Amino acid sequence: MMRSNATAMTNAAAAAEPARAAGSAEKAETAAGAGATGLASKSAEAGMTGAAPSPARRGLPPRAKSALMQAGLFAAPFAAFGVFLLFYGVNPIDLYVSMFTSAFGNRYGFGEVLIKATPILLTGLAAALPARAGMINVGGEGQLAIGALLSTAAAVTMLQAAPAWFGIPAMLLAGALGGAIWAGITALLRVKGNMNETITSLLLNYVAFYTVGLFVHGPLKDPASFNWPFSPPISDALRLPVLNGSRLHAGIAIAVVLAAAVWWVLSRTRLGFRIRVLGANAFAAERAGFRVSRMQLLTLVAAGALAGIAGMIEIAGIEGRLRPTTGANYGYLGFLAAWMAWNHPLRLVATSFLLGMIAVAGNSLEMNSGLPSSSVHILMALVLIFLLAGGRIGRGRRA
Amino acid sequence: MTKAKRWVFAALAMTFLLSFLLSACSQQGSGSTSGSGSSGGGTSGGDSADSGGSSGEASSGAVGTGGSAVGFIFVGARDDYGYNQAAYIGSQAVEEAFPDLKVLRVENVPETAEAERVMEQMINDGANIIFPTSYGHLDPALNVAARHPDVAFFHQGGLKTAENLGTYFGTIWEPVYLAGVAAGKMTKTNKLGYIVSVPIPQVLLNVNAFQRGAQSVNPDVTTTVVFTGSWCDPGQQANAANSLIDGGVDVLTQHQDCTKTVIETAERRGAMSVGYHADASSLAPEGWIVGSVWNWPDLFVNMTKTALEGRFDGSMYDGKYRGTLADGTVMLTDFGKNVPDDVKALVGEMKQAIIDGALHPFAGPVKKQDGEVVFAEGVIPTIDELESMDWFVEGVIGTIPK
Amino acid sequence: MIADILTGAVRSGTSVLFAVQGELVSERAGVINLGTEGAMLAGALAGFATTVWTGSPWLGALAGGTGGMLIALLHAFLVISRGANQLATGLTLMFLGMGLTAFFGRKFVSESIVGFNPTPIPLLSDIPFIGNVLFNHDPLTYVSFALVPLIWFALFRTRLGVIIRASGEREDALFASGMNPKLVRYGAVLAGGFLAGLGGAQLSIAYTHSWVENMTAGRGIVAVALVIFAAWKPLRAAVGAWLFGAAQALQLTVQQQGYPISPYFLFMAPYLITLIALLAVEFRKKSRMPEALGKVFTGSPGGAG
Repeated sequence: MMRSNATAMTNAAAAAEPARAAGSAEKAETAAGAGATGLASKSAEAGMTGAAPSPARRGLPPRAKSALMQAGLFAAPFAAFGVFLLFYGVNPIDLYVSMFTSAFGNRYGFGEVLIKATPILLTGLAAALPARAGMINVGGEGQLAIGALLSTAAAVTMLQAAPAWFGIPAMLLAGALGGAIWAGITALLRVKGNMNETITSLLLNYVAFYTVGLFVHGPLKDPASFNWPFSPPISDALRLPVLNGSRLHAGIAIAVVLAAAVWWVLSRTRLGFRIRVLGANAFAAERAGFRVSRMQLLTLVAAGALAGIAGMIEIAGIEGRLRPTTGANYGYLGFLAAWMAWNHPLRLVATSFLLGMIAVAGNSLEMNSGLPSSSVHILMALVLIFLLAGGRIGRGRRA
Repeated sequence: MTKAKRWVFAALAMTFLLSFLLSACSQQGSGSTSGSGSSGGGTSGGDSADSGGSSGEASSGAVGTGGSAVGFIFVGARDDYGYNQAAYIGSQAVEEAFPDLKVLRVENVPETAEAERVMEQMINDGANIIFPTSYGHLDPALNVAARHPDVAFFHQGGLKTAENLGTYFGTIWEPVYLAGVAAGKMTKTNKLGYIVSVPIPQVLLNVNAFQRGAQSVNPDVTTTVVFTGSWCDPGQQANAANSLIDGGVDVLTQHQDCTKTVIETAERRGAMSVGYHADASSLAPEGWIVGSVWNWPDLFVNMTKTALEGRFDGSMYDGKYRGTLADGTVMLTDFGKNVPDDVKALVGEMKQAIIDGALHPFAGPVKKQDGEVVFAEGVIPTIDELESMDWFVEGVIGTIPK
Repeated sequence: MIADILTGAVRSGTSVLFAVQGELVSERAGVINLGTEGAMLAGALAGFATTVWTGSPWLGALAGGTGGMLIALLHAFLVISRGANQLATGLTLMFLGMGLTAFFGRKFVSESIVGFNPTPIPLLSDIPFIGNVLFNHDPLTYVSFALVPLIWFALFRTRLGVIIRASGEREDALFASGMNPKLVRYGAVLAGGFLAGLGGAQLSIAYTHSWVENMTAGRGIVAVALVIFAAWKPLRAAVGAWLFGAAQALQLTVQQQGYPISPYFLFMAPYLITLIALLAVEFRKKSRMPEALGKVFTGSPGGAG
């Protein structure tokens, strides 16, 4: 049983390589996953015989049907939330329209959504990348915080007088390092201690929060701020450049570039392919000789670095100094965005934008209707519930 | 693997290159108005932050006029029997006093740059007067103030001001001192307990005032301080209250945003309680001694009126305004039913002395926990010195992280 | 001082204890529920609100359990009937619970209730040292004491327990004997949700007599971690819950004694201790994880779906 699994695996892998070129990498991945469990399925057979299924075989209607279903699954939570709002005398159409217009209507609003989307995108990547490798990283929150911590520490000590061209990339590096180290703890516990990374990363979020508190009340406290707990401001040279007329900073560009980079690695490199195989079927991957532990470590650490960069961007782009509550909630929003995007980095750009829009809309909801802005968390959870109920997520963490 | 590694490094290099290019080729100058805001505050009153180049645009009317709304942002929920509730009541007073003005409110606004967005949205919706009500909203408010020189900002508790941003607060340590006097008189175990969140100056100031008040009538009394790390976590509050009472404390007080849990726990366990932010005596009919509260309604209405009438510039609110016990901005609540008359009389006398200026809670000599003299005999510290406190007076049991 | 720490351990560990026992049952059946935090919050609010409306804390406790059960129902549906990923679903329900309770709980923040009060058990509470530690608590805490041996007995000495454990270990055997493993899992998850809700209700009705949004502050997450630490054994799970409570109490005692340790280290302590406890478990001989649960963690297809 096991040997045939491995054979099916290797065959599927062999089939997958040319299939990748034909653009059906997703199909190959499923084949790899399905084939290795020994379940008879059309795609598995296709994989084993070494023939890549051509797009024409699938035909259009099933695709259109699934697209329609996806659209329906997507719209349903908004409808449900709309009914909820009606109960409280709020016109949901008004809300959704204002959500849309404030996001796209003027430069400032658009900028605000992008500002909110940036850390969500990065922490989303921090959740999506390990998810493709079969791990669930919910530690984006803590990794962001430690990234912010380390980059602020670097900024107010070594980089105080640094010019922008050196200081900003250095801060970026410090942020990435901070997040990477924090995720490294989770990774080590997983790889060496066999401890589930979901639980450890969750617990570490709390530890990170208090660690930041420790520093802003102590070693990093601003001597010129009357003993209030935040760091000194970073120098102007270290602030990210900003678009005139709004608060929109260059962080969005960095985030999008990184999203593209992650997508590239995942879909166009051998490393990425192996990561996806690992995610589809860890057992078979091991049998096929992949160095599973090393890959798990690598993806988690890379994810931490991404979240850490989000932390640095929050400091250098928006806050200008480290506060006890810097970056709160972005980790969890990023996780939601990642799952909404089925862990696909490019789709993540869209879902993080969407979540940014919803989050920004929360405040106008409160100002105009009196409902608390936390109501939008209900909407976000509903979106995810419908997706989960749709059954797309969960059977193999594929795109 | 090598090929993949090359791509990964290429991606990283691209990112760094991009950030380098962006930083080198952009106008840093434009970044500073919206980005850096207020850096490096001064030490004494009336300090203006650098709102520099942006005030070039001539505003049509005086600061604060011409708006159709007033905005209030709160750091927590309004029904917390505490800090935010007090501010909320103030906002209601403004609503009643100015029926033509729409009152915009957002609760649970975090003390980060998030707050900027909320304030911008309020200005967008027509507010020309904004009340950021939590200390941590100061920097975001200063940033927004720099971008909107015609909007008046009244910030609660801040220590830095700007052209169009004034801060207000009350000398709450005065009634807290008096409450300490009452507690010192009524305690049987000579152990008082103070449940607080984080070691910021406002908190330390209150703890010290409480201890000084108690000590002035009872030299053996101590105040044990417990940090919970949160402004409102009932589980922690209950833990702390129970733990303190187990350790022999018989008067509990707190500096938290929500005050209900501590007071009710004290009452259940037969300890006495001293309130803060709001009058919670109904929750502790037996054990309530007294409480220190804010009287924001009158102040908020006056500030709004000043701004609407175009008199903001140069008014007493254009700067660091501190209301006192004397002018009623901070008050002592009524006493609980079990407080003896002699205690009431004593507190009443000392209250009058404070109002008359004859008594100051922190008149020297004032010693720190380790015995070092921080205010010498005869010295009366300034409000700035008090509002930047980072030590405990002797008789306080507790550790401040350094 | 030790007595105080132990008393505090039981006091603040009880809510976690309920959640831990519930999650234990659920995981024995092969379903992990990270939405326990959401279930606890739902229970806390439902319990508090019901006590406000009816004046009866016992009704409140029942309502609290029901509230937690409703969240768990959603989890069971998504995971068992729709085959969704258990960890992602659990986290989503955690957010849903947080959002819903924050929304509906607003008007209860300032309400007062006649909740459960500490009732010392006559005679037993006079025993020096342990009298206060064990016998001077609210009624729900006494229920939690009874719960632990009850769960153990149910799981290991009754037919029901065999069925539950089979659904987590040998579901094909269960299926072959004519029972539906899915149905059994539903039951286990619902039971887990009920107990988690009860834990939340204990926090609001008995311990703090308050409702504030997010008042459980991560206890649900810790509960899930502790179940793993306890190797899915009820008594060890109870010890774990009290250990967490002890860490919280210790932090307070250290502060009160005036030791110069930064409070932030102390705040971190409970979570760090939980992590270290988990690590210690892994380095012991490999503990027996229910097989169906194992599939959730290694990510192979299969599992509860």
